Amino acid sequence: MPSKAQPLCPICGHSVAARKPQSVTRTAALIISALCLYIPANIFPIMSVTQLGVAETHTIVGGIVALIQSDMIPIALLVLVASILVPLMKLLGLTLLLLCVHYQWQVNARLFTKLYRVIAFVGRWSMLDIFMISILVALVDLGGVAQVIAGSAATAFAAVVVLTMFAAKSFDPRLIWDHQLSNE
Amino acid sequence: MIKAGTRQKAKTTLAFGLVPLAYIACPECDLLLNPAAPEPGDKAHCPRCGYLLQRPRMQSIERTLALSLAGLILIVPANLLPMVGIKIFGNSHDGTLWSGVSALLKEDMWAVALLVLFSSVLLPLVNLGLAFLISLHLFIRKSNHHLVRWMRWLEHLNEWAMLEVYALGIIVACVKLADMAELRFGFGLYAFIALLIVNAMLSHELDNYLFWRHIGQLNKKSAY
Repeated sequence: MPSKAQPLCPICGHSVAARKPQSVTRTAALIISALCLYIPANIFPIMSVTQLGVAETHTIVGGIVALIQSDMIPIALLVLVASILVPLMKLLGLTLLLLCVHYQWQVNARLFTKLYRVIAFVGRWSMLDIFMISILVALVDLGGVAQVIAGSAATAFAAVVVLTMFAAKSFDPRLIWDHQLSNE
Repeated sequence: MIKAGTRQKAKTTLAFGLVPLAYIACPECDLLLNPAAPEPGDKAHCPRCGYLLQRPRMQSIERTLALSLAGLILIVPANLLPMVGIKIFGNSHDGTLWSGVSALLKEDMWAVALLVLFSSVLLPLVNLGLAFLISLHLFIRKSNHHLVRWMRWLEHLNEWAMLEVYALGIIVACVKLADMAELRFGFGLYAFIALLIVNAMLSHELDNYLFWRHIGQLNKKSAY
């Protein structure tokens, strides 16, 4: 059966649609995958530090605890926000938005759109931990004397960041407005 | 701040010059609006959901051209020169943007290595190149059928270039290393900071709305 001709944008030639195609399904799939990967990302060590032959592994939380113990509270807070609060907020926030669309909740749509915008904006900042590890791995590479090795959680965590960024991108905020009865 | 929707229509038709558009739809809440024509420096927000519709800049094309050229020059030393070096127990070691990627590859973390490579090296370069090519074409008013594709790529790839997040990563890594080793900052770091500033200015000056309008006009002219 021939498909209906896709309408095209007169300026850029890209196909246009009233709403992002299959927005809810795609976003839900991406969030569920990210949630699954969020568990190994927090359980497994994200890096191991060897100093004078003594190896020590750190999880994401362990790294933050180590920062607090060495009295670097502001940096500890920064890492806490970037690698724990932001991914959690994204997963929970997008789930809330999806539930709102699916169950057609009557909400303050302006507020929910703002939530979406915040989620879309902060996503990339979770890469902080990954970049930090890549720098440590490159610099601290002196064999048995001092060495940092990236752990398996790094891959899982990077995947969480990428998946949630795609999830935010595939969600269509106009869906929040579609079922609101009062238009303000 | 000008709210869209209350502006006169006559000005809009002139500003577009392409198709006499009656209404635009807000990309995030689908409210139909009379297009605003804000002055440079002003912002037009959607009155219902607050989406930033337009924020025109003075001489957006010229400034984008200049800044992207500056960025393309700065990205060379930022990539090639050592940024941070450490000294532990008499051993010293320098690191560039690339050494993080190669160290991760050496440990078989190829997925993470690829992600770091793309978000800290390749995509910033691609974005600067695209911004330079597009603004150059608009500046000399030369049409090119690739322009629309480039502009679309630029809009999509923008959020995957994460130089500013990388900068924060450097700071955290340095704090972690500070009590363990002696740190040395190289010229690459200064180039990287300059690149960061140029990049931030670039995304501030690039007016997507104006760029799309000019691309549309250029390509329409070349079609006849």
